[in-house]
Amino acid sequence: MVGIGFRREFAEEMISGEHIKPDFIEFAPENWMNIGGYWKKVLHRVVEKYPVLCHGLSLSIGSPEELNKEFLHYVKTFLNEYKVQLYSEHLSYSKCDNAHMYDLLPIPFRMDAVKHIAGRIRQVQDYLERPLAMEIVSYYTPVAAEMSEVDFINEIVRQSGCQLLLDVNNIYVNAFNHQYDAKAFIQQLPLDKVAYIHMAGHEQVAPDLIIDTHGEPIIDPVYDLFEWTLQHLQPVPVLLERDFNIPEMQELQGELSRLKNICHKQWKLKNELVA
Amino acid sequence: MNLLPDTYHIQQTFSAYCRTGEKVRLPGVTPNRLKYYRALVFNMINDTMESAFPIAFKNIPVRKWNKMVKDFFANHACQSYQVWKLPLEFYTYAVENNWEEVYDIPYLNDLLGFEWAEMEVYNMEDIPAPPFTLQGDWLETPLVLNPEHKLLSFAYPVHLEANPKKMIQNKGAYFVLLYRDAETGNVEFIDLSPWLAFLTEQLVLGITVRDILDYAPQLNITDTDTLEEDTIDFLQHMQQQHFVLGFQS
Repeated sequence: MVGIGFRREFAEEMISGEHIKPDFIEFAPENWMNIGGYWKKVLHRVVEKYPVLCHGLSLSIGSPEELNKEFLHYVKTFLNEYKVQLYSEHLSYSKCDNAHMYDLLPIPFRMDAVKHIAGRIRQVQDYLERPLAMEIVSYYTPVAAEMSEVDFINEIVRQSGCQLLLDVNNIYVNAFNHQYDAKAFIQQLPLDKVAYIHMAGHEQVAPDLIIDTHGEPIIDPVYDLFEWTLQHLQPVPVLLERDFNIPEMQELQGELSRLKNICHKQWKLKNELVA
Repeated sequence: MNLLPDTYHIQQTFSAYCRTGEKVRLPGVTPNRLKYYRALVFNMINDTMESAFPIAFKNIPVRKWNKMVKDFFANHACQSYQVWKLPLEFYTYAVENNWEEVYDIPYLNDLLGFEWAEMEVYNMEDIPAPPFTLQGDWLETPLVLNPEHKLLSFAYPVHLEANPKKMIQNKGAYFVLLYRDAETGNVEFIDLSPWLAFLTEQLVLGITVRDILDYAPQLNITDTDTLEEDTIDFLQHMQQQHFVLGFQS
């Protein structure tokens, strides 16, 4: 299954399905819950047409503060109402000192943060009565790290029992920005826990820095890393994220088709080998 | 909580930097990379406000606007987990901090209030209308109105006039009805006289047009020969505009 992030900019094209035909859609509950009017009708039309996965923005699992119970209540209601098949979030924080920042800030890679976050993931999973898939986020600087990024992630997965959302573009971006080997990094992850893959484009803003913009097409080296990664995974849903500089639908469909072809090639081959 | 005070403090310092842009000392960061976080976070807030308040953004000089957004984000702890609701916090912050006077923009609160109300009514959760029929007596039967509306009052004609000088010159008492058309989902607004604003407010409470007309003299509304007819004409027009839905059944 290869899906796309559902955006208002191309809602009608998605519903018509004339130029773009994803296998599923993904959206952030925060952008759609507790609204009415025109966009609620659009939401109902699109969820009738496509299976839905949700990717949250405001959980802020890495926050020092308590989880927001009211928010979780609305998320749970929303996920149930729209029969959402998978809920993922970010391994980062976006709220501190009781203030939202609406972006993904890097958590210090430290053992106390691991314990703190693992406990919070367990709390969320228990409350929502479903597993969380946590995305390894792109980041532009580490902050006060006391352990490696990969150890940090592995420990969180081990202690919380969560699943992983593997954003292949993020790994590419992080490997470039922090000068490590993307494949070696991926090989060290608990790949049996990967439940979902994201793919996106990015923008290089300095000779040594890439920003994860979701505003450009996926580049070939990221496709290559994706293809390599699939050889090490069981089949999972794959999502194309495109949030800015939205092109013609045919161009997005081209990216979806390319992703789908790679999935077919790699996972078909793998199934044949298993058989 | 398993977080050690040092880690907690580091997260606070990092997020404070993102909110204010003021230099901080953080261990183990890559030189010159923190600024990207400040830029990403602040641009998101700025873009959100620009799209929520397009007229205010157009009218206010860039330096003042930037100062406002920076002040807001640095000193206000944003509470909404839904970004689209954040402009309400900006508007509230402007009112609480007397920005009208601070920035010498007398119509600012009205303009921000109007632009926010458009967004709020557009996005608000669906409110089911009570049962109604299309047959009834305009004077004697309580009317059913589109419940997805807001009635606002302003000192400046921010809904009628885009030119800031003219807004200030025409200071007065203005009433605006905003409602969401159930068919299109679009937000419509209409300028109301004080009488029609009072009428609308009373109709929402289920009071009949006859009873409201009887009350008109106490509001110093001159009960002219045509007041009743004009009022019903207005309501019939608003029925065509999908604000008056029908008669209580």
